[in-house]
Amino acid sequence: MTTLETGDILKARKTYNDGLASSIEKRRATWFPIGLMVVLMALPALQFVGNYNYVIHLVLYTACYVVMASGWNILGGFTGYISLGHNVFFAIGGYFAGMIFARYGVSTIILAPIAGLVAAMAGYAIGLITLRVRGPSFIISSLALVMIFRIFFENWEFVGGAAGVSLKANSLSVVWAKLPYYYAFVIMAAFAVWVSYKIKHSKFGLGLRAISKDEIKAESAGIDTRTYKVLAFAISAFFVGMAGAVWGEYLTYIRPNIFLVILISVNMVLMCILGGKGTIAGPVVGAILIVAFNELFVATLGASEINILATGLIMMISLMFFPLGIVGSLAQHNKLPRILNWD
Amino acid sequence: MTELLEVDGITAGYGDGPAILVGTTLSVQPGKVHCIIGPNGAGKSTLLKAIVGMLKVRQGDVRFNGESIVGLRPDQVLRKGICLVPQERALFPKMTVRENLRMGGYSLADKSDLERRIDRIEEQFPILKERRDQHAGTMSGGQQQTLAMARTMILKPQIVMLDEPSLGLAPKIVAEVFEIMRAMAADGITILLVEQNALMGLKHADWGVVLDLGRTLFEGPAKEVLADPRIQELYLGGKRAA
Amino acid sequence: MADILQILILGLALGGVYALMGSGLSLVFGVMRIVNLAHPSLIMVGAYVAYWAFKLYGVDPMISLPIATVILGAIGVLLYKLIFEREARSAKYSEMTVLLTFALAMVVEGALGTAFTNTQRVTSPGYATDAFFIADIFIPKGQLYAGIVSLTLITFLALFMKYSRFGNAIRATTQNREAAELLGVNVNLVGLVSFAIGIALAGAAGALVSFILSFFPAKHWEWIAILMSLVVLGGMGSILGTVLAAYILSVVAAFVGFYFGATWSTLTFFVALFVVLLVRPQGLFGEKPELA
Repeated sequence: MTTLETGDILKARKTYNDGLASSIEKRRATWFPIGLMVVLMALPALQFVGNYNYVIHLVLYTACYVVMASGWNILGGFTGYISLGHNVFFAIGGYFAGMIFARYGVSTIILAPIAGLVAAMAGYAIGLITLRVRGPSFIISSLALVMIFRIFFENWEFVGGAAGVSLKANSLSVVWAKLPYYYAFVIMAAFAVWVSYKIKHSKFGLGLRAISKDEIKAESAGIDTRTYKVLAFAISAFFVGMAGAVWGEYLTYIRPNIFLVILISVNMVLMCILGGKGTIAGPVVGAILIVAFNELFVATLGASEINILATGLIMMISLMFFPLGIVGSLAQHNKLPRILNWD
Repeated sequence: MTELLEVDGITAGYGDGPAILVGTTLSVQPGKVHCIIGPNGAGKSTLLKAIVGMLKVRQGDVRFNGESIVGLRPDQVLRKGICLVPQERALFPKMTVRENLRMGGYSLADKSDLERRIDRIEEQFPILKERRDQHAGTMSGGQQQTLAMARTMILKPQIVMLDEPSLGLAPKIVAEVFEIMRAMAADGITILLVEQNALMGLKHADWGVVLDLGRTLFEGPAKEVLADPRIQELYLGGKRAA
Repeated sequence: MADILQILILGLALGGVYALMGSGLSLVFGVMRIVNLAHPSLIMVGAYVAYWAFKLYGVDPMISLPIATVILGAIGVLLYKLIFEREARSAKYSEMTVLLTFALAMVVEGALGTAFTNTQRVTSPGYATDAFFIADIFIPKGQLYAGIVSLTLITFLALFMKYSRFGNAIRATTQNREAAELLGVNVNLVGLVSFAIGIALAGAAGALVSFILSFFPAKHWEWIAILMSLVVLGGMGSILGTVLAAYILSVVAAFVGFYFGATWSTLTFFVALFVVLLVRPQGLFGEKPELA
């Protein structure tokens, strides 16, 4: 037998274990998102010098997706539960606020947080059921959810069935008409990103991360996985619902095939994947890129099946070669530019 | 004397991850029961998986009867005569006991003998004959372990490696499992055993090996390893009366 | 009474087709733990193969069924080699793989749509619009044939799995991949063949679908939710469970459709899914409860 002292072994063991732990570099550039916000808030001033309605629409559209993708990210990225049917909450928020707006004239922008809460409650209830299973079963249940909602909304006379309900446009002039919605979405987007950040750096967020890595171990470490997951589900639903509320009024009609098309839920997911699931900047980067791609494709190829083909291809390539998304992959190789490190 | 199996300074890990085994060396003598003990994460299961070809050996060599087996697939290693019973039983829960035994002979080139071998195993382990049409997943832990170990004998291997056979079993059942192991050894099969339950493992072994920090730290006759105060302090939970 | 029998038969016939669709899906999941959301879109490919064979060359769908099966089987091998082989190894990315199949579904749909446009198609061999009249019961020939063929194919699959050497290797890999590998099974080959068989079955199902329903590239979305619900209901990884769930629910859906209207009949599958999630999350024959 070799001669060895017990002390030596214990010391060697500690060094070995320490070597396996990795250290995270914290290099954050807070000025960037803040600067970005300032620019976005000031952007509509361009309307004074020309017709930039298209630009405003694009930013608004992107911001809407940032809200949704960031919300989705809380469940999909932080907690690891992929939902392909989150547009259900888009619909709940949209219909709730839209119907009240249609009947009582209360602006959806004011209603948005309440619509978000309604969606959150629905998310809570649904999560209690569907979060009983993990992985593929959960994903499937989210798909079934969209189909159920679609069938219901298309057959519910009160909300106009498949034809939906049309909403009054606001009475501002063409130059300024988009602005209320613009600011609403930009502020919501900022809020969503901020909340994501707060969650990620809280005990709650840590618990979610543990769940995403290994739920059984998280459970045995004392984390109340059930409550955490359902809460994450509800919070993510809140944001998507809020976005839905304002989107309906912006579009001036609410219909099942606006909210409950698969493309919307795919976009939410794709933005997070492309940008970086589980990061803070990821959904934002993803949203910008996907909206840009979409505009590009529609402009060059037309809004047809080729669009779907192209979206699918982008998704496949991202998943196969950059599963951590742009922000995630760059971070992994320590090449993340400081302006994108919002974590 | 050529060892039956010689592990020569191997480095191995999972996928692209860090190396778990760092220059591990081990000699396996024919006909003996070798027990490997060590703390969690030391690389005990990793070692068995590397030997059988489930993990890539990054550096070093593994020689069986003098012939290098590094780089062979598990089914190739199996045909050479080394068998591994992985952790947490190794059964097919929705297949019957007999189907499980038949799968044991999957790699046999000549199937004509298979049924006879299965029959012989059933004779040796009456509990398996009794439950031959029962789904393996519905059996008790001890019965499952019996099946898993008996199944290795279909191929008449030279070495059988057992990864934590006592895991999840009640002490009385563990004793029975080790009885089976000794019966296999008596039949001429060389055993390489990895055990978390160091006490039990060493008690039933001929040769003890301590694996820690990815390397072999001590080895020696099992009784001596068991009695060594340093081993007792590090791995057996503190100093105790011999 | 005749009504009830008729609905029952219709339900069983459709159930057979769903069972065929679902068994390919379940097979792939059992071996590779991948939920292939692109499966229904590949069924569409099979349907288009049968459609064009009929339209351009007058080939009866029943004859183009084996052709579609082989073509899709080859596509399956290609997909496995190009995409899924590497994914099969990294189990931790299993959710990413599901998304990958989702993206693949979009690619397939996009390709079909670009090539063949969105026009609704249906293959119309003579028997598609013909029916048997037994006593008072009206049995559309097309659906009856589809039901019989599905049942036959499923039976072949079951026999293959239970009694052939390779079939046993597949079952073993499904139940305990590590142990199978350690007993000499070439799990990569098992993955490849299972995937090819699964997609081949999709091709067969597609040929059958081509004459019992009208289809277009985006139709696969309707089936994704239904098929996936069946797989969860039957228990992830259990082909038998999926097949049973298909038959049972299709019959129930047929009755629901008869009494409440066609829209509600599809709802049956989803409601059943949610009920199962509440009451027995692992489904009929699920291996372990994926309970949270």
